[in-house]
Amino acid sequence: MQRFLDPAVLAGISSLDLIAKTVVDGFVSGLHRSPDFGFSQEFAEYRAYVQGDDLRHVDWNLFARTERCYLKRYEGETNSQLVVLLDASNSMQYGSQKPVKADYARYLAASLFYLAIRNQHDAAGLIVFDDEVREYVPPSTRQGQLTRLLSALEQAEPRSRTDFFKPLTHFQALLHRRGIVIVISDFYEDPETIVRALEVLRFRGNDVVLFHVLDPQELRPELKGPAILVDLESQQKIEVVPEYVASRYREKLQTHIEQLQTRTQAAGLEYQLLPTDQPLDTVLREYLSLRQEER
Amino acid sequence: MGFLAPWFLIGLATLGIPVFVHLLRRHVVTPRPVSSLMFFERGTQSSTRHKRLRYLALFTLRFLLLLLVVLAFADPFIRRFTNDTRSSLLLIVVDRSFSMRAGTRFSDAKQKALSLLAFKPHSQRAQILALGGQVEVLTQPSPDSNLLRTTLEGIEVGDGQGNLGDLGRSVRTLKDATPGAVDLHLFSDMQRTGMPGNFADAVLPPQVNLALHDVTKASILPNWTVESINAPAELQDPKDTTKSHVQAVIAGLSTTEATKKVSFLVDGKILLSRELKVPANGRATVDFAPIDVKYGFNRCEVRIEGDDALPADNGSVFVVRRSDPQRVLFVHRSADERSALYFGTALNAASHGALVLQSVAVEQVTDLDPSKFAFTVLSDVTALPSIFEHALEQYLSKGGSVFMALGLDAGRRTHIPLWGGDLQKVSNFASSGESAAVGQVDFTYPGLEQTQPSRDNGGWAGTKFLYAVIVDPFHARVAARLSDGTPLLLEKPIGEGHLLLFASGFENLTNDLPLHPVFVSFVDKTSRYLSGSEQLSGMRMVDSFVQLRNAAEAGNSVVTTSEVIDPDGHRPLSLADSQKVQTFRLSRSGFYQIHFANGRSAVIGVNPDRRESNLEPISKEVRALWTGGNAGADEIEKLPVAGTKYHYVSLWWYVMLLAFVVAVMETVFSSRYLGTQREEL
Repeated sequence: MQRFLDPAVLAGISSLDLIAKTVVDGFVSGLHRSPDFGFSQEFAEYRAYVQGDDLRHVDWNLFARTERCYLKRYEGETNSQLVVLLDASNSMQYGSQKPVKADYARYLAASLFYLAIRNQHDAAGLIVFDDEVREYVPPSTRQGQLTRLLSALEQAEPRSRTDFFKPLTHFQALLHRRGIVIVISDFYEDPETIVRALEVLRFRGNDVVLFHVLDPQELRPELKGPAILVDLESQQKIEVVPEYVASRYREKLQTHIEQLQTRTQAAGLEYQLLPTDQPLDTVLREYLSLRQEER
Repeated sequence: MGFLAPWFLIGLATLGIPVFVHLLRRHVVTPRPVSSLMFFERGTQSSTRHKRLRYLALFTLRFLLLLLVVLAFADPFIRRFTNDTRSSLLLIVVDRSFSMRAGTRFSDAKQKALSLLAFKPHSQRAQILALGGQVEVLTQPSPDSNLLRTTLEGIEVGDGQGNLGDLGRSVRTLKDATPGAVDLHLFSDMQRTGMPGNFADAVLPPQVNLALHDVTKASILPNWTVESINAPAELQDPKDTTKSHVQAVIAGLSTTEATKKVSFLVDGKILLSRELKVPANGRATVDFAPIDVKYGFNRCEVRIEGDDALPADNGSVFVVRRSDPQRVLFVHRSADERSALYFGTALNAASHGALVLQSVAVEQVTDLDPSKFAFTVLSDVTALPSIFEHALEQYLSKGGSVFMALGLDAGRRTHIPLWGGDLQKVSNFASSGESAAVGQVDFTYPGLEQTQPSRDNGGWAGTKFLYAVIVDPFHARVAARLSDGTPLLLEKPIGEGHLLLFASGFENLTNDLPLHPVFVSFVDKTSRYLSGSEQLSGMRMVDSFVQLRNAAEAGNSVVTTSEVIDPDGHRPLSLADSQKVQTFRLSRSGFYQIHFANGRSAVIGVNPDRRESNLEPISKEVRALWTGGNAGADEIEKLPVAGTKYHYVSLWWYVMLLAFVVAVMETVFSSRYLGTQREEL
């Protein structure tokens, strides 16, 4: 079963539904715990009523016996909300091997949706963006939500370029409830810019997780001779030499990753680097473990 | 093979290979996509542009290599002068003979020669000759056009007679010293009289290409001329009409019958005039007598009045010297009266009183000065008074002449006065009852001169010699020999004088010569020669030579000076030449004043060779024969082109050598280049 979690194997499966099911059913365990106190059946404590509290939570039986007005509070697994922000810019279509970054991101998002909706019964939503918000599926637990999400993922073909600031206002308008926000992107942007754009979501009480998807050739590029490189987003061309790629490029990229890690941690965001040759279950396990530790 | 050859065209198509490999392949290079150039920087070392430059260099080498190979297929060549042409000598011969004075012939000839020179290839050597009385080599072979042009422009028309035989001989001599071909261009009026009697003399050697440039504008031009003059060089009595007359022959050449006025001028003044009718292409004789001239040298001229094709030959100049009769000293033995009789009779008959014989016995000559006589005759006297012998030696050294006959008396002695050698022995033919005849006669010797000797050996065959002495002919010219080889007449120059030795006597005992008519002629010519009167006046032909001093005494310590004044009044001899030159060529027509080394002075009239007056050109057949069919060379502009010979030097080897070098460079360059593989995507 392990081999089916290899991204190269998953790339041979055309259905996102099947991919997500394969990933989640095989390896994912655990659950999402709501960051807020919910109103499920497990009693936690009483709290004195203060003006403004919802009267629906007043324990009227206790009020009848004691004429004191108390509210009942419950602790337990609550329905959480998962929103995935998927980068669908042109840079995501790069890949030195299958799957390309965009496909890997879709597999990742589909697995998360499947995990959230089928296993955790959470509401899940999707925002596809590049320099604009291209697709928005509101979080919901309704029947068929998973299908809608997967369909939206199918249609999320890379185009245009990445811009975090422009769609930020839309993010804030669309995310009414707090929940988990997972941003999947290659993050070719200044780390400071990325963090400033996403920490707003954190301020609104969301748990923000950054999945940094990169191709192995981007992490460890190899160039035997001088070559002309074309930027997939801007179509700009430059000539580079192998000596530079082997030394300075790697240093710059490593610095970029380290800055992302440092900045996101400083801003209370989660960060995870995901090479596209890394199996998805490992990624989900590490993530869920990380979530568990945080609880 | 040329540039339209099939192999060349096929090879040309192969030039597309490097174009395809380098240019087309370079265009299909696909850029490599990346997510973002955020972390990339443009490379500056070993960049693609640098690699492209190397590509271009490699492409250039490969293209050049193929181009050279293709070019080799075309067998390229360059056109160069052939070695023959570069080494061939352009020989320009300008006729400056007397006939070129007719019309504008000479200026036309020079102009054509200059035009030819202007078209001469720069590297070709040329040499300029002038054809006049003799062939003059004016320059050495040289490519220097300025020198050649200056030389050509400096040529002046002369008065000599152009002889194509002389030209042939000169060209043969030049050809021996000049390797390679010779292009001879002759600019002349092509006179028929210039062609030698023996055509072989004019034939040019192989590898000499003759081109004739005829400067005559009309084929036949009428011309009258004074063909000959019969006038006395010396005159003693102007009233003696047997001698005091001038006879001139007027000749018409290619003329119709005409009446011409002929004048006789003395010192520029017309003395007599006659009108005579000259028949068509004929001759007429005119006499002027008596000629009343003054003492001394009289510069005379017979002139045809009027104009014709060649006015320069309408006059003929000569000099008549009027003088008193000269004496001849005849020294004989007192017992010999016969010699003086025979010699004196012959002298009177010949000289018509110009020379008077003074007969003196040898015993009476002591006080006589031989320099007061025209010449001295020693008739069989070998024992001279020492004073007189010494006087004779001085007389000889200063230019005097002695005629010595050795008869019976000489046989009794061994000493020969003045001669410088002893008598060797005596040939006494009478003792054997036989006689000797004159076997060999040099008819070019002035005393024996005959233009066309008769079959009887010029009259000498009938003479019988019974007695003759034999002397050593060392340093002497033998003018006649007896039939047994005994020298009969010998001449030895002594100082500036002449000593003539007759090996027999004049007494009609040792021989019967005095009884023969040839004796008078012999005495006449000998006396004129010895007296020197022939040289002092009269007329000569242009390019004849005058002997200024004796050759044998040229190195004598006694410095004698001769002087020549030409018709223009110039002195052609330098001071050094005047002290050593033995002969002088009379190159101009007119009157020459000459002062000989022996102290005598002369004035001579010099006329051009009358063959120059005949302007009839050489027939076309003879021209074609002479030139070998190359007679049509009148268009100067075409000559250098036609005469220019090229040969084609193939560059195949050079191209292939260059291709080899380029191939080596391409190999080295490409091996270095291929060491760094291009990134393939």
